[in-house]
Amino acid sequence: MAEEESQFEEFDQIDFLRDRHVRFFQRTLQVLPERYASLETTRLTIIFFALSGLDVLDALDVIDRNVMIEWIYSLQVLPTEDQSNLSRCGFRGSSHIGIPYSTKGPGVLHPYDSGHVAMTYTGLCSLLILGDDLSRVNKQACLAGLRALQLEDGSFYAVPEGSENDIRFIYCAASICYMLDDWSGMDIQKAIEYIRGSLSYDNGFGQGAGRESHGGWTYCAIASLCLMGRLEEALSQRELDRIRRWCIMRQQTGFHGRPNKPVDTCYSFWVGATLELLDVFQYTNFEKNRSFILSTQDRLVGGFAKWPDSHPDPLHAYLGLCGLSLIGEPSLRKVHPALNITQRAFQHLQQLQQTWRDSTGSCSRQH
Amino acid sequence: MFFFYTVVLPPVLLDSTVNVKHLFIVLIGCILKVQPPKPLAKDRKEWADLEPVPQDDGPNPVVKIAYSEKFSDVYDYFRALLKNDERSDRAFALTAEAIELNAANYTVWHYRRVLLQALSKDLREEMRYITAIIEEQPKNYQVWHHRRMVVEWLNDPSEELEFIADILSQDAKNYHAWQHRQWVIQEYKLWDNELKFVENLLEDDVRNNSAWNQRHFVISHTTGFSDPAIVEREIQYCLSQIRKAPHNESAWNYLKGMLQDRGLSSPPGLLERVLELKETHCSPYLLAFLFDCYEDALENSNQKENVGEEERKDILRKALEICDLLANEKDTIRKEYWLFLGRSLENKSGSRGPSDKPPEPSDPASGQQEMS
Repeated sequence: MAEEESQFEEFDQIDFLRDRHVRFFQRTLQVLPERYASLETTRLTIIFFALSGLDVLDALDVIDRNVMIEWIYSLQVLPTEDQSNLSRCGFRGSSHIGIPYSTKGPGVLHPYDSGHVAMTYTGLCSLLILGDDLSRVNKQACLAGLRALQLEDGSFYAVPEGSENDIRFIYCAASICYMLDDWSGMDIQKAIEYIRGSLSYDNGFGQGAGRESHGGWTYCAIASLCLMGRLEEALSQRELDRIRRWCIMRQQTGFHGRPNKPVDTCYSFWVGATLELLDVFQYTNFEKNRSFILSTQDRLVGGFAKWPDSHPDPLHAYLGLCGLSLIGEPSLRKVHPALNITQRAFQHLQQLQQTWRDSTGSCSRQH
Repeated sequence: MFFFYTVVLPPVLLDSTVNVKHLFIVLIGCILKVQPPKPLAKDRKEWADLEPVPQDDGPNPVVKIAYSEKFSDVYDYFRALLKNDERSDRAFALTAEAIELNAANYTVWHYRRVLLQALSKDLREEMRYITAIIEEQPKNYQVWHHRRMVVEWLNDPSEELEFIADILSQDAKNYHAWQHRQWVIQEYKLWDNELKFVENLLEDDVRNNSAWNQRHFVISHTTGFSDPAIVEREIQYCLSQIRKAPHNESAWNYLKGMLQDRGLSSPPGLLERVLELKETHCSPYLLAFLFDCYEDALENSNQKENVGEEERKDILRKALEICDLLANEKDTIRKEYWLFLGRSLENKSGSRGPSDKPPEPSDPASGQQEMS
C-alpha cells in the first residue's frame, strides 16, 4: 500500500478538480438547454449519473434528497384500479407522455404509458443512493412489468410496446431483480443462453449472437452473470481466461471499446469494472489509465468528456469518476463494480434486504 | 421571391425615402427564404378542438430541459393526441414534426407506427422518409428499429444492403449499421456477395474490426470452418494481411479465434510460419499468439505420452521467455498481466495433470469481489 501512495504523489501533477465536478452535477440536476432535447425520455438515467456521481464524490449533501425522491416516485407507473396494466409497470424516464404529476397510486389508465427497463433500473438505484427504503415501490408490479419484456431467446425489450432487444436490457433486468431480491422477474436460464450466445470468436461479448465484441456489452454480460451468481456456472475457466485477455487488451493508455478504435473515458469503467469482476484489474497500468481520464477532464465547467478537448456530458462525467475510483483515487468512494453504485449505497441495499428477509421470516414463524 | 415582387417591391419603388441598401437587405432576406414563422399549433384553427397537454414535472422538477415555445407547442399537442389515441392524418403529420425536434423519443416512433398501420399509409414513402432521417442521425437506436419494422412489413429487403453500404461509407464502424446488416442478411438469406463486400472494406482499412467480425459471421453461416481447405485459405488471408500491417489486433484475433477450439498448433506448419514472421513483422499480438500456442501445446502434452519431460520443459521455457519479452519490452503497459500469466503457467505445469482452476496470484493484495 505504501508503494501505491507514493505513486499517487507523483501523478498528482495532473490534478483532480473535485469541486468543479460537484458543481457540474449540481447544474445537471437543475436545468439543461433545449439542445439536450434528445435526453428527454432518458432523464431518469441522467439523474442517476448525477446522483451517483455526487455519491462517488461524497457530496450528496449539496442536494435536497426529499425533493429528488418525490420526483423519482412521480415516474413510477403504478397499477390501475383494475390492475389491467400490470405488464406495463415500472418507471418512466420522464413526464413526456403527459401523465399528471403524482407520487401515489392508483395508476392512471393511458393508452401509451408504460415503464422502460433502463429507467426502472436507474430509478431504483437513484432511490437507494438517496437513502430511500423503497417502501413506495410496487415491487410485484415492477417484476410483472419485467417479465413481460423478456423474449424467447432470453434477451429483453426495453418497453412492452416493443423496441430493439439486446444484452443491455438483460443487465438492467438482472440489476432490478438483484435490488428487489426477487428473481421471479426473469428466466435466468434463458438469459444465460443469450449471454453465452453473444460471446464472440475473439472472446469479447457483442450485443447479440454474431455481433462485434464491445466493451460495453462485455460489461453487461459479465456483470449480469455476477449479479445472478452464475459466472462460473455459465463460463468455463478457459473461457474466463480468454475473456480476461480480450478485456485487458483494451488498454491503450486509457481504454477503448473495440480493437482499433480510439480510447474513450467511459471504457475505463466498462472494461475496468469487468476486469475487476474477473480479478485481474490489478494487472492493468493505473498510471496511464489515470492520465488519460484526467486528460478528458474539463477544467472550466467540470465533468469529463469521451476524448480530450471535447465537451463533457453527464455519462462520461460519471463513468470517468468511476474509472478513477476503480484505481483507488484517494478522494473518491469505492464503486460496486457489478451494480454500478457506491459500496456505501450497496451497504444500504444489503441492510434493506436483511429487513425484508427478517420481516418475511417473522411472518412465517407466526404461522 | 413571389413575395418580394408582389408585396415588397411595388410600395418600395413608390417610396422615395427608400435607398438601395434597404432594398438589398430585403432581397437577400427573400432569397434566404426568411419567411414569417409557421404559426404554432395552438394558433391554428385545425387544432382548435384539441386541448393541449403540458408536461407536468410537479413542484420541483429535476433535470428540466428548457424548451422553446415552438418545441412545447408541438409536444403539448402530441401529448393530447396520444391521450385520446387519435388515429388521423393530422396526428401522422404531427409525428414528423415531433421527430424533427427529438428523433430519440421512442413513444413518438411507436405512435407513428400505429398510425402507419391504422391509416394504411404508403410504406414505400415511409422507407424514403426513414432513409433520410438515418442519413442525418445514423447513431440513433429508434430510427434503425423503425426501419427494421418497415422492412418487415414490406417484406422487402432489396434496398438494404446498398443503403447500409452508404451509411458505412460515412462511418465504416457504425455499430447500428452493422447490426442491421447482419439482421437483413440472416433474415432474408442474402449471403452471396457479403464476403466480397467485407474484402473491399478490408482493402480500404485492414484494421476495421467490424469488417473482420463480419468476415467471421459470413463464413461461419455459409461454409463454416470445419473444412481444412477453408481454414488454410483463411490462415493465408490473415497472414498476408498481417504482412501488410503487422500491428493489427483484429487480424490476430481472427486467426486465434478461428483456431482456438481446434488446437492452435494443429494446422501444419503454422507455428513455424508465425516464428518466421516474428523476425520481421513482430507485434505484441504475434507474441501473445505464440504464448497461446505454447500453452496449448503444454495442455495437450498431458494427454500425449510421446511428449517427453525434456520437450515439455523446453516449451515451458519458450513460453516464459515470451512473457518476459512482452512484460519488459514489447507490451509493457500489460507488464503485470504478462508476469501473472507466466507465474500461472509455471504453477500449472508443475502439477501432473491439468488443473481445474487458475492458481491464486502471488500478490496477496488481489481483491476478490463477493456478490453476497
